[in-house]
Amino acid sequence: MTEYAIDIVNVTKRFAEYTAVRDLTLRVPTGSVYGLLGPNGAGKTTTIRMILNIIAPDTGMIHIFGRSSNDPNITERLGYLPEERGLYRKMQVRRVLKFLAELKGVKGSDADRRIDEWLERLSLKTPEKDWGLAKIDELSRGMQQKVQFIGTLLHDPDLVILDEPFSGLDPINAQALKDTVVELKRRGKTVIFSTHLMDNAERLCDSVCIIARGEKVLDGIVTDVKEEHGHRNVALALEGDGMAGVASILRDHSLVKRADDSNRFFEIEMAPGADPQALLRRIVDSGASVQRFEMIQPSLHQIFLQKVGAAGVEEGMSGHG
Amino acid sequence: MAKLWAIIKREYLERVRSKWFLIATFFGPIFFSAIIIVPAWLASRSKATTDVYNTTILDATGTGFGHRLAVNIAGDSTIPSRMPTVRVVAPNELTPAESVATHEVMRKEKTGYVVVNQQTLAGEAARYAGTNATSIADMAQIKNAIRETILASRLEQVGLDNRKMKEITFIPLDFSTERITERGRAGSGMASVLFGFAIGFLLYLSIVVYGQTIMSGVLEEKTTRVAEVVMSSVPTDTLLAGKVLGVGAVGLTQQILWIGTTYVLLKLRGPIMAKLGAPVVNFSLPDISLAAGILFLLFFLLGFIFYSSLYAAVGSSVNSESEARQAASPLMIMIVSTGVFIQPVLLNPTGTTAKVLSLIPISSPIIMPIRMAVTGVPPLELAASLFFLAIGCLLALWLASRIYRVGLLMYGKRPTMKEMARWVSYAR
Repeated sequence: MTEYAIDIVNVTKRFAEYTAVRDLTLRVPTGSVYGLLGPNGAGKTTTIRMILNIIAPDTGMIHIFGRSSNDPNITERLGYLPEERGLYRKMQVRRVLKFLAELKGVKGSDADRRIDEWLERLSLKTPEKDWGLAKIDELSRGMQQKVQFIGTLLHDPDLVILDEPFSGLDPINAQALKDTVVELKRRGKTVIFSTHLMDNAERLCDSVCIIARGEKVLDGIVTDVKEEHGHRNVALALEGDGMAGVASILRDHSLVKRADDSNRFFEIEMAPGADPQALLRRIVDSGASVQRFEMIQPSLHQIFLQKVGAAGVEEGMSGHG
Repeated sequence: MAKLWAIIKREYLERVRSKWFLIATFFGPIFFSAIIIVPAWLASRSKATTDVYNTTILDATGTGFGHRLAVNIAGDSTIPSRMPTVRVVAPNELTPAESVATHEVMRKEKTGYVVVNQQTLAGEAARYAGTNATSIADMAQIKNAIRETILASRLEQVGLDNRKMKEITFIPLDFSTERITERGRAGSGMASVLFGFAIGFLLYLSIVVYGQTIMSGVLEEKTTRVAEVVMSSVPTDTLLAGKVLGVGAVGLTQQILWIGTTYVLLKLRGPIMAKLGAPVVNFSLPDISLAAGILFLLFFLLGFIFYSSLYAAVGSSVNSESEARQAASPLMIMIVSTGVFIQPVLLNPTGTTAKVLSLIPISSPIIMPIRMAVTGVPPLELAASLFFLAIGCLLALWLASRIYRVGLLMYGKRPTMKEMARWVSYAR
């Protein structure tokens, strides 16, 4: 087995005058869960499309399991769930799934068996009702999402690529997706997904890559990334009054570089060289009632904000997908 | 290849299973036989009707002329219902007799009456009055019957016996018409025009209907993002080829079913016409050789590929049905402006307009088959037409595949022509 499921080296992709991905290098270890993080318009979808060989890079190389990404046989080992989802509305569920399986080289009878298994597993086929015989547009949104998962995983791909998989999912399907990702990893599959939801990434991913404006900002194993960004963060929770005084302390840039204010909870990044104890004293002196004051590893969200910056997010928002 | 086949199969089966396909396939032949049977039926109305039998003959000749005329009008004296009523009247009683006959016509008991007298025997004059006096065919039949009767009386006077006389005067003339073109005889004139029209209309309709089918199919795949899933499994060119071939096969299936059932209906046309009460006209379909049939299908397929690949490109470049309709209007204009020329080409299939239009790929898939149906087309013109059409197809496919693979991934605002031109230049 090759060490890397995906090996992207110095890849650049331009659309007219706009550069979607610039000199990107990233490696996804085989068997890992990998998060591709970035604001909208950062180049995540373009990167994914290049991995899938839907579009070709202008320069650079992409290898999937050690083979060139334009090797026609490699697509059968890939499963892809695009960002916004839909299926042929007027087509019967089973026929859609069989079509998708055929495109991945699964033979007819084998496909039928797997479709049955999956429909039963996701309770789309029960003794009372077989939704496999219904048309796609007769299904609820949640059921359509399940059918889409099945379509992505039916051919038992070794590398599963999910573009913004959590957007638009109800909590139940979101949990089902997380369970599926964990299950895939347990079976030695590689999963890469793009997201701008840092919480999900932090919990699910072994490794992450943050990209913004088409360039890699950082990448690595999640624990390493957090380690690198040190114990410079403080979690602060307050109760009762005294917020006003605290707010002015948090604006003191000799102490605090950045504070993420969630009303009663703050994640604070200390200014370089500042002493957290000094901060604690100032807060206690201000009369605020401290419920929690803890040195923590920064969350991916904090690292993301620190590295990309609010400006990058805003700028990225208006860019191309 | 297996994947191309999967795409073709899906396109084909999903469309053939739809109820619209069933409806169109069922109503098509009814429509086409209607446009062939109805004009033929109308044309048959220009033959004399049964009205001529329901007349009165006022015979003032005193020679039994009226009875002979009645037999000639009926054409067959063994069918009593066909025999007009004969009233022998004295010349001075003619006026009251006419008045009685007029009232019979006014009461709709009779269609009309013929007056024959000495002048008629001399071959100078006869009169008819009736509700069908404006019917050219009815009047011609009565007039001919009078002529024949006069001729028979004269022959009798010079001493010909009855049998001989019948032999001489019996002229069951079947006057059929046939067109002659520069290349020779072209079968029944009306039949080939109708046939040409049917072919042209069929091709025109198929290209519009199936072109738009492809367009909305592509648009659906784009808006539901199925396209991305498919593109991650097969090259875009394969997807485009699969769609064009799959939908093309649906069109071909439908045409074969249409042509087959229309053919059967035309074979049954005799009985149908008889049921409608119209005499069966000698109406032969133009002879279509196997080679011509294959050429028709070839023109259909190439024309279909030309337009449907462009429709696919349009479908891939837009984001909604309403945008698609707008963006497809240049294609619609191309097809409709060809449709406008169907009639002029039918009327003058060897003119310069027809020749030029059958060389341009935009119009040749419709115009050339029409010309082939109504006239002979020199092999060199056919070859040139096919050659340019094939080149046109390759160009259309090349252009379409380039717009298609970029367009499918572009969401948001509708691209300008300039942007689409740039897509064509993208490597991939």
